[in-house]
This record gives sequence, C-alpha cells and structure tokens, in this order.
Amino acid sequence: MNLGFTNTEWIFGTTIIDRLHEIYGFQVVVNNLPNFGMGAWLTLEITVFSIAIGMVLGLIAALGRMSKIKVIKSIAVAYIDFFRGTPLFVQILLLYFGIIPLIFDASPIQSAIIACGLNSGAYVAEIIRAGIQAVDKGQMEAARSLGMTHGQAMIHIIFPQAFKIVIPPLINEFIMLLKDTSLVSAISVGELTHTGKMLYASTYQAVWVWGAVCVFYFIMTKALSILGDWTERRLATE
Amino acid sequence: MIVVNNLHKSFGKLEVLKGIDCHIHQKEVVCVIGPSGSGKSTFLRCINRLEEAQQGKIFIDGEEVTAPNADINRIRQEMGMVFQLFNLFPHKTTLENVTLAPIKIKKMSKEKADDIAIGLLRKVGLGDKDHVFPSQLSGGQKQRVAIARALAMQPKVMLFDEPTSSLDPEMVGEVLEVMKDLAHEGMTMIVVTHEMGFAREVGHRVFFMDEGILMEEGTPAQIFDNPQNPRTQSFLSKVL
Amino acid sequence: MKKFLSLLLIAMLAIGMLAVAGCGGAEEEPAQQEPAAEENTISKLVVGSETAYAPFEMVDDATGDYIGFDMDIIKAIGEAMEVEVEIRSMEFTALIPALQNGQIDCAISAMSITEERSQVVDFSDSYFDAGLIIAVAADTEGIETLDDLKGKVLAAQIGTIGADACVAVKAEDPATEVKTYDHVGEAFMELQKGGADAVVNDMPVTAYYVKTEASDKVKMVGEVFQADDHYGMPVQKGDAETLTLLNEGLAKIKADGTYDEIYAKWFE
Ligand SMILES: Nc1ncnc2c1ncn2[C@@H]1O[C@H](COP(=O)(O)OP(=O)(O)OP(=O)(O)O)[C@@H](O)[C@H]1O
Ligand SMILES: [Mg+2]
Repeated sequence: MNLGFTNTEWIFGTTIIDRLHEIYGFQVVVNNLPNFGMGAWLTLEITVFSIAIGMVLGLIAALGRMSKIKVIKSIAVAYIDFFRGTPLFVQILLLYFGIIPLIFDASPIQSAIIACGLNSGAYVAEIIRAGIQAVDKGQMEAARSLGMTHGQAMIHIIFPQAFKIVIPPLINEFIMLLKDTSLVSAISVGELTHTGKMLYASTYQAVWVWGAVCVFYFIMTKALSILGDWTERRLATE
Repeated sequence: MIVVNNLHKSFGKLEVLKGIDCHIHQKEVVCVIGPSGSGKSTFLRCINRLEEAQQGKIFIDGEEVTAPNADINRIRQEMGMVFQLFNLFPHKTTLENVTLAPIKIKKMSKEKADDIAIGLLRKVGLGDKDHVFPSQLSGGQKQRVAIARALAMQPKVMLFDEPTSSLDPEMVGEVLEVMKDLAHEGMTMIVVTHEMGFAREVGHRVFFMDEGILMEEGTPAQIFDNPQNPRTQSFLSKVL
Repeated sequence: MKKFLSLLLIAMLAIGMLAVAGCGGAEEEPAQQEPAAEENTISKLVVGSETAYAPFEMVDDATGDYIGFDMDIIKAIGEAMEVEVEIRSMEFTALIPALQNGQIDCAISAMSITEERSQVVDFSDSYFDAGLIIAVAADTEGIETLDDLKGKVLAAQIGTIGADACVAVKAEDPATEVKTYDHVGEAFMELQKGGADAVVNDMPVTAYYVKTEASDKVKMVGEVFQADDHYGMPVQKGDAETLTLLNEGLAKIKADGTYDEIYAKWFE
C-alpha cells in the first residue's frame, strides 16, 4: 500500500489531511457533508416517528393478541403475522403505490413512516407480549388476591416489570428499524441511503460515498445503543 | 362464616377436588394437612377464586363467592392470601408493597396508607425496613412483608398456602410467630401447612386432605393423638 | 461533543485509508495487463445490464430470459465476433463500479455517453441515438418544454441523464421538486398516482412505456431534447481489447444488416 507520503509525515496530522484533500472521493464526501447531514436527519426523523407509531400499535396488538375475545385476537394475530411475514421493502412499495393512495394523499415521507411504523408495530407487539409473559405468574395472582382488577394488576404490577424486560429487545428493534429505513429510498425519500445513491450515481466513488453513509448510520445506531445501555443501567439501579 | 358445599375442581381430565364440604367459623384457625398433590392449594385457591371450581358453592358471610355475578374484586379484598413463594412486587419498596392496594383500590390517601403500613410493618417486626426493596430481604422477612401486605386490606379471613415451606429452617419461627399473634387477635385463618407443631399449638381444627377428599377433621388432639382414618394414621406416622 | 467529532474524523480517516488502498489497486490493474498484441484472445464477455428498461432490456414474462434491443445487439455482436455472451442483471448505478472492479467486461444498458462517465470508463462507438422527452399524465395541459417544468414535481431514474436534466431545472428554480427512483418504472408509477407532474427520461423507453403500458394515462409532450444523446457500451478504462472487439462487432452487424433488422424489430 503506497499512500504517497513517508513515515515522518505520518507524525503530522495536517499532512495526512492535506493529502486526503487531494483525493477526489474525499472531496466528494467533504463537499457533500451537509447533504449527508440532511439525509441522516431525515433518517432519524423517519425512525423516531415510526418508533412512536410502532410502540402504540405494538402495545395495542400485544394486548389484542392476549385478549380472550376471539375477533380482537384474530385481528391482532393477522396484523402481526402479515407484517412479520412479508419483506418490509415490499410493504413499502405496496403501501406507497397501492394502498395509501386509495385512502389519502400521502407524501413519500408520510408513506415511509406509515410503512415502517406498521412494520415495527408487529415486532414491538411480539416483544411486549414476550415481556409480559416473562413476568412471574405469581405477580398477577398476588395482585388479584389483593382485590385488584385485571387492568389494575396490569398497570401497577405487570407493565412496570415487563418494561424492564423489554428495554433491551426494544432498543435492538429500534436499531434494526433505523437501518431498515434505508429501504424507503425506493420511493424517493431523500434519507441517508438515497443521498448516497444520488451522489454515487454522479461520482462513482463507491467506497467513499458508501463508506461515509456507513459512518453516519453507525453513529446513529451507536447513539441508540448507548442510550439503551444507559436506560438499562438506570432501571437496574432503581 | 365460610361455608363450602360439594366443591369439585378438575384440571382437564385430572379431578383434583372431589366434593369438599366444610364449615369454618369466625375467629377459627383451621390447619389443612395432607400429602403432596392431595389438592390443598387448589382448595385454598378456589376459595378466593384464583381457580374456578366446576361445581359446588362457597359462601363467605352468607355471600356466594362462586356466583357468576359476584363482585370478586371486592370479595377478594376481604380475603388476604399469603403464598409459598411470597410473590412480593419486586419493583416496589416494602412500604409500597403494603400501601399499593389500599391506595389504588380503596383510594386511601397516601399519608393514611403509610401510617397503617408502618404500623403493620412494625407489627411483623420490620418497622425499620420500609424503604428497602424485596431483593434485599431474607426469605423470612419477605414472607412477613407479604403478611403485612395482605393485612393492609383489613381482610376478614387470611388464607395461607404453605407460608414457611420455602424458608430456611432458622426463619420458619419468625413467620410462625407472626401468624400466632394474628391467631390470638382473633383472625379467621385457613393455613395449609406441613408444620405439625404449629397446627397442634395454634389450630382450633385440623383438616386432613387426601386425593381431593376431606378425609378427616377434628381438633388437633383428635387428629394428632387419635386419628380414626387409616390414611390419616399412615400420613401422620410418616411426618411426625 | 469534541470526542464525538474526533471519533467521526477517525472513522472517516479509516475509511479513507481503505479507499486509498482500493484506488491504488484499481489504477494498477490495467497497467499489469498484457498489451493486446494478439487478435481476439477473448472467448467470453460478461455483460452488465439493468434489465428493467424496456424496450432496451427487460425480462421476458414467459421464459424469464433477458430480451430487448440491447440484448439482441450484444448477442449479435457476440455471434459476429465468435465470443460467448453472459448477461448479468444489476442496478444501473452499479454498472460502472462493476466495470471498475472487473466484475463485468462491458455493459449494455441504454447508457448515454457523457463527459462525466467518460472520465471513469471508456465507451464504444455509439450504437443508438436517443434523446430525452417529457411525459405527463394524459389530462395534464400546459407542460411542453423544459421551461414549463420549473416549479413542478419531476420524477426520474437515479443516475440517468433524465435525472440530470431534472436537477438542472431545479438549479434554475429551487421550487422544483425532483423525485428519483432506482427504476424508471417507479417514476412512471409516481406520475400515474399523481405524485409527480412529469417524468423526464430517454425518449425510446418512454415511447415504449406509453405504447405498451399506459396509452390512456400517460402521454409524451413537446420535442425530443438533448438529441445529441448517444448510447454506448462502457468498458473498463484502458481496456482496449474489449473496446476493439465491441467496435468491430458493431461495425460488422451494421454492415451485414443485422442491426437494421433488430432496430426494426423493436422500434417499427
Ligand atoms: N394449574 C394446574 N393445571 C393442571 N394441574 C394442576 C394445576 N394446579 C395443580 N394441578 C394438579 O392438581 C393436583 C393438586 O395440586 P395442589 O397444588 O392442589 O396440591 P397440594 O396438595 O397443594 O400439594 P403440595 O403439598 O405439593 O403443594 C396435583 O396433581 C397438581 O399436579
Ligand atoms: Mg400446594
């Protein structure tokens, strides 16, 4: 590997930076940092809104799935099965080009959030269900024996304990979701991957462009997992 | 005070209770003994409907617990239950464990609930442990908190399901002591137990259950010193 | 924050190093190749194509084979030059990197010869004269020229000169919105569902789409523009051998009438 400078120059960081600035791919990346930033911001926005939708839907679907009422249970199971059993990419295309236009006039970003939110909700539902079922059965019995209703027992006893159990898999799901938002570039949402595609199509700097995209994704997922670790630690000490 | 008529309970094909009849009076302490799997826990859990019986009726103070439209949540408030494995709420302090139900169900003010709870914790000898989480307590301490938790709802009856079975031997005494005090105060109690000493000393009556049937009942003296049923005789010869 | 920035910088640098190493390799490769002394040592051509661009390249519904004008042309060249041809279907934007990495020998994918592309690959002689055209929904009035596109929502395929034209419009009028897709089919779908006012794309492809898929929903408007748009087959920069083969083959099939037959088959 010939980097074009001698060992002594390595010592001086500025020299390396100067050399880098002579490389076309590096220029492309540096000149487009604002574009990457905007793409990453949109990725984050889509992720956050999808998480919000996914959490609400997931909670409803999880409770629906555990419901004793047959109709509610079937609807919840059908929803969870469909969105976990088909590729997100296909869901994005189907919703954007097929289903959502029948209902209302949605922008690509809105459609992306709806698709990712619906998809995430199905996974969140299973995480929440597993978390609730992981709480010792004796907890529900103790609460009921004191005279609490099923709902009171859920709210005061089961949910708080399930919450701690579901934090790690939920954070994991959010990280997956953040990465999966790259698929919405297919419907012309200018998020990070789309930014990369555009830049790459005009410069052919595959390693630089996709490398930079990776760095941005990595920073965001790392931030999420640090947040997750922190939450976990806080909950553990409580 | 508690009347049980022809109680039947099955889990699938397995018939666990085969027609239990009994009558328990106010302020009475009944100890239920019998071999493992004989249906003692199931009997106790049917009384507060943690298990639903298939057949038979249970009355508390004349009110039918087993009626389909019975307000089971209110009825349960009048029956405290203590479990073998304590089932304390791990995310709450001991004080919160005790005050949760009065505050949430009886809508008691926090101050009043705290007052009562501290009194109860003192009574079970844990007045200094109010802000500790269950994970920091010993087994015997946990069970005493569980008793305080049940008492906080001011129940008319206390149901105990082998409250000392999962305790180290040196902690059994402190829990039995609390239960003994409770009995002396006149609490109506049904105690499923393997502690024959406790049954003999504190119990007013002893039920011997086997294979889902209430085989024999009588005063501790009758059951322990002069059992009539051969099953009782053989069971007692093994445990005493 | 400082730590965060330095982390970012370090990560970028690490990737930079990799890139430098990668570039070095790519530049050396052609130099290592033996000069093309002998005639036609090539026995097989691996050809990249984005096979979702009818009528130039597409998948036959019935057989699953790759068919289209480009496919016929490259097969005819292969026959004329007695080399085997293997088609590899890939994304349009992946074609040039695949050439650079040596994963394919050449590409035939309705690719316009542009100055930017010529800097990173070598193009064969042009084999098709295209040009761009604007397509709008059948009931749209008042869009005819590039000027009319200002301030509108435009759809195009990523990496095409149609997309470049849209970006140029946006540069003049920032109120313009450009939506770009991996495949031109999605751009047409966006147009049909009302999410875009116009699609800017290669005329022959748009004409074929309107004719076969959406004659009642989509129409072409105005004149063909950027008529100096010529399709060529790119090869790795410096790969004279493949380039010669392609040009000779193209000349042969033009001379013996095969080219005209193929042209008639797809466009008349
Ligand atoms: N939820 C359940 N589902 C199926 N079978 C059960 C269930 N609960 C208890 N049983 C069965 O019912 C029978 C009686 O159980 P129970 O717990 O009442 O016995 P026990 O007298 O309390 O015994 P031990 O002294 O071991 O606690 C046992 O055979 C047990 O396996
Ligand atoms: Mg038992």
